Formats: sequence, structure tokens, C-alpha cells
Amino acid sequence: MEYRLNVNEEIFSVEVENSGKHGFRARIRDQEYDAEYVHVDDHQIHLKVDGRRVNAYVCGQDDGKIISIRGRCWFVSDADLAGQKGTRKKGLGPGLQEVTPPMPAVVIAVAVREGDVVEKGQGVVVVSAMKMETTLFAPYDGLVKKVNVCEGDKVMPGDILVDIEKTGPDSEIEAE
Amino acid sequence: MFKKILIANRGEIAVRVINTCREMGIQTVAVYSDADKTALHVLVADEAVCLGDAEPTQSYLNMEKIIAAAKETGAEAIHPGYGFLSENSRFVGKCDQAGVVFIGPPAQVIRDLGDKITARRIMADSGVPITPGLTSAEADAAVMRTEAEKIGYPVLIKATAGGGGKGIRIVHSSAEMADACASAAREAKSAFGNGDIYLEKFFTNARHIEFQVLADQFGNTVHLLERECSVQRRHQKIIEETPSPIMTPALREKMGRAAVTAARAAGYVNAGTVEFLVDENNNFYFLEVNTRLQVEHPVTEMITGIDLVRMQLEIACGNKLPVSQKDIFGRGHAIECRIYAEDPENGFVPSPGKIAYLKEPSGPGIRNDCGVYSGVDVPMAYDPILSKLIVHARTRDLAIAKMVAALQRYVVVGVKTPVAFLMDVLASDAFAGGNVFTNFIDTHFSSWHPETGDADLALLAFIADEMAASRKTGQKISGEDAILTPWQTLGAWRPGL
Repeated sequence: MEYRLNVNEEIFSVEVENSGKHGFRARIRDQEYDAEYVHVDDHQIHLKVDGRRVNAYVCGQDDGKIISIRGRCWFVSDADLAGQKGTRKKGLGPGLQEVTPPMPAVVIAVAVREGDVVEKGQGVVVVSAMKMETTLFAPYDGLVKKVNVCEGDKVMPGDILVDIEKTGPDSEIEAE
Repeated sequence: MFKKILIANRGEIAVRVINTCREMGIQTVAVYSDADKTALHVLVADEAVCLGDAEPTQSYLNMEKIIAAAKETGAEAIHPGYGFLSENSRFVGKCDQAGVVFIGPPAQVIRDLGDKITARRIMADSGVPITPGLTSAEADAAVMRTEAEKIGYPVLIKATAGGGGKGIRIVHSSAEMADACASAAREAKSAFGNGDIYLEKFFTNARHIEFQVLADQFGNTVHLLERECSVQRRHQKIIEETPSPIMTPALREKMGRAAVTAARAAGYVNAGTVEFLVDENNNFYFLEVNTRLQVEHPVTEMITGIDLVRMQLEIACGNKLPVSQKDIFGRGHAIECRIYAEDPENGFVPSPGKIAYLKEPSGPGIRNDCGVYSGVDVPMAYDPILSKLIVHARTRDLAIAKMVAALQRYVVVGVKTPVAFLMDVLASDAFAGGNVFTNFIDTHFSSWHPETGDADLALLAFIADEMAASRKTGQKISGEDAILTPWQTLGAWRPGL
């Protein structure tokens, strides 16, 4: 069996072969692993990899699993399933192209109105969560097409708070 | 001693106060908002009173509702924790009027020390060194410029009220002055309802070192050594330790005496913290007094063996301090890491949500002051602190090793936390060297990203979990979704009939 797994935006091909009731052999890049596991509970997998034991903590999400091992976390998803459940994660990275809050938050102030011309980096909405205010900036030069929120609205990551139509010099890049 | 007290707070600090009350045989009343119905502090208290809407002004900041809850439940005193109403002198006044003891300093002391200008004057008058700068509020940017030229740039424009890093601007040149004054004043006005600002010297390579003090109602005032709190992000501490890596017995003696003088000058009663800036030449300057229990108080408890909440309760009910200065000494080294629901990869933005799974580290010398559990929702209405991990060992190096190992065993899944970030900071040469200034994170870890090189184990865990899940579903199908009885699940094992 072959898995194609996505770890933090990098795709790994993993060849897996069952061995025994709770074991498997896996090949990642050119590395071979002999693994056994105990399903301790819904969130804990006890692994024995080439004789060395390690505890992994697992939390299933809509589109993958968060794996925590020795204090570090990885988000692992099945690359072959990606896209079937929507691409919610897209656009949430640092190269943000939309005016959307980084965390669930409340809108504190809206600094623009429909028809306003905005410059890249101009503050357009201020949101607040957990005593911290965050200003959301225009991702590019543009024209405010629509303001989708008012002060006091509760908003989530992925919600587009302000629609901005690009007018800047690099607007063609967006088309690809 | 009090028979019952109310804790006007939430999260880890409410739980921590309740723990000491339980040891002392004091009944506890928790208060909570609609967002906190199943919060840990509600589950561990003897009684709990709902205050209403999640919005802090409707709940944890609502003085009338909290005092009414104390009256209604027969609580004799209110512990404010930190944040919320802990440094609100009007609340203390209202407690006094209602005949409920406020576990903290008198209203007048909080009022004086809460105003940075008044505090600076009290300290200057009693010979405690203060940072160079103004001792009165100033609205005129031109006057600010003159003063800045006198003491030298960079300078700090600071709100006279409040704290928590709000209403503060660093000014590097006279050109930036007018804008900085205007925005600091605006931020202070909206955060604290008071837009007064003043100016003081900004030290680029400064350490933040504070002294814990305790004072009873009979004029006995002691200090409980220092805490080093230089590792900060957004002017908020994330790692604290004691003793400070730069402390010498002579400097400790000098600063400790200044801290006690500062507390006495302000007429201080109960537990408080005198904060100092220490420059590269070990000159120290009074910064402010925090008139409450600090978030980082556990490191002091670890090395002194003194329960600060117990001391607060003793003092508040009118008992004499059971310790004098000569009884207080530190043993070993303690470090605290704050575990917030936040994303260290993304500017430390808050990360509220459901904690899908939590596993706390434990072992000799490990303490975790925790306010959450597996399955609880971390609401976005409040400060994102989840817990504080504290370790105690014989030396600083041993404490660092213990902390790294404890962090490795700390599992928080569902919300983002800085656990991996803290591990990297603790394990860094820069931290080990003890050259820790308030700009430490910006200098060494400004563009931190988690190590992802060793993803193979995560991949194997993913696959194992998939396999375990498919086995489980397989079982379910054979059982035709019937509810399994022990007779089916026990397998070959049978009770000894």
C-alpha cells in the first residue's frame, strides 16, 4: 500500500506493508522503518520504531491529524484526499491574500467603506481576541468592493471581512 | 482565619488559589461567565455563582455582581487573582463598603502605585532610584522632545495608567515624537480611560528583575528574593526564573533593601512585587509596583518554600507575618514557562478553540499550575494563558534540563501553544549563557519556525493511527453497531465466579 502524505505543505510518499497484527514496514524516501504500535487510547499511539519506543499523541481534524511527539507538533494529511473536503486551509498561510482574521475574533473597528481606494499594507479592519487587538491590512493596492462586517461581529479565520479588487501593477499575477 | 472566600477570577490562578484554600480548610466560591460553565475553576470549587455574559464587563469585571455573589454565599473575603479587578482601587473601596475583605493592598495604595507618576514621586522622595525621565504627565510633544534630548534617545513614551504593554511607544528620534505621543495617548485612553502619558529613558540592553515583597498590617515588611523576567514578547513575560543569572549577594542585598523601602514608602500591605530595570552596569531603577499576586509567583514559592497565597490570606485576615527576613532564603533554581494558547510561528496571535487532548508532565521538581483539561473550550473573550509549567532543581543548568524534558512530555493538542518554541529557547546557547535581556526574543528568535526535519516519526504515527482506526471500525461492523457488553469486550478473561 502506498500513502501520499502532506506534512506542513511537503508531500511524502510512504510505502507501507503490513507485518503482523500490530506492525508494519514503511519506506520513506530511502529510509526503511520497522514499526509496531499499540493503540493506547483515542489520542495516544505507542510506537516501537526499529526497537526504539516513542509516544505519539494524535488529534483528528476535519482534513488531517495533528501529531504531537516529544513536544513538537506536525499536521499530517492524506494528500490523495485533499481537495475532496474543500481547501479550507488554503490562503491561511503567511502569504495571505485576503482580509481574514488569523483567529476567531470580534471586530473592533472597520476603517474603510465601499468604494475606498486602499494601498497595500493599509489597515482596514481591527479585530480583537483574548485581550489582543490585531489590525488586518490590505494585501494589495485596490478598491474596496464590499465591507462584509460591522463593529461587534464575531468572525472566524477564512471569513472574508472586506472584498478588495486589485488595482496594483501585479494584478496579472493573481490570474494564474 | 476566613471560613469561606470568593475567588474573583478564572483559569489557572483561580484553581491555584482554591488549592491553597483547600489545604487551609477554607471553603471556596468560584464565579464564572456563560463562556466558562465547565471551566476547571468552576469544577474544583465548593460553590460557584454564574455572573452572566462572557463579556468581561458583564462578568469578571462586574463589581456589583461579584460583591453580591460574595454576600449571597457568605464569603468573608475576595481573592482577585491577577488581571481583572486585582488592581482596581474602586473595587477595593466597594468591598470595604460592603464589609467584604479584599485580599490585597488597601485602596489608597493601589491608587497611588497604579498611577506611574505618583509611584515615581513616592520612590524618588524615599531615595529609591527611578529611571531618568519626567515625574509629571505631559501632553506637549515639544516638552517631551526637550526632556528626551536631555536624557538621550531612545526614550519610552508611557501611559501613566494601566499596564500590560499598552500605551507604550519607543521613540528613537525627535521626528517620531509627535506621532508616538499621539498614538500612545490614544491607546491608553481607549484601554484605561485615561490618556495621560509621560516620558522615561529606554534601556536597550536592560534586564527586568523584580522582588517579591510581603507586608502585614503591623508594619512588618520582607522581601522574598528576586525573579528574573527578561524573556518577553509584546512586553509580556513568557519565561521567568529565580535566582537571576546576574545576581550577586551584594546586589541582592541592595535591591532587596530598595524593594522593602519602596513597599514601606507606599504603605504597602499584603503581597506585591517591586519591578526594577537593571542596566548593563548593574545599575537598577524602579519601574513599578504590581499590587497583586504575580503570574510568575510560583518560582519564588519553589525556592523559598513559602506559599504566597497562604501568606496573602494570613495577612488579609489580620495575622502577623509568620516569617522575618532572616528566615527567608532561596534553595536551588526555579524556572517558569507560560503556556498560552497562541501561535509562536505567527506573531504569537491568540489561538482559542477546543483542547482536544491534554497531558501534563509530572515528576520530581515539576509543577504545572493549570486551568484547563482535555475537551474544554478555550474562550476567545479572555487572556489566553492555559497553564504555567514550573520546575525546581539544584542549579540553573539542571533546571533548564528538567524544563526541556518536562516540555517534551507536555501534550496540548487542539489549540496552538508555544511548547516547541519554549523548548528551543530553553535549549539555546543564548539562554544557557544567561545573557537575557528584554529584547531576547527579538534578538534571537524573531523568525522562529519549528523544526520539521524529523517528520518521519509523525508519518509513522499517522499510519499507525489509520491502521488502528480501521481495525476499530472493522470490529464495529462485526458487532453490527450493537452496544458492546463486557461479556463481548472482555475476550478470554472471565471474572472469578
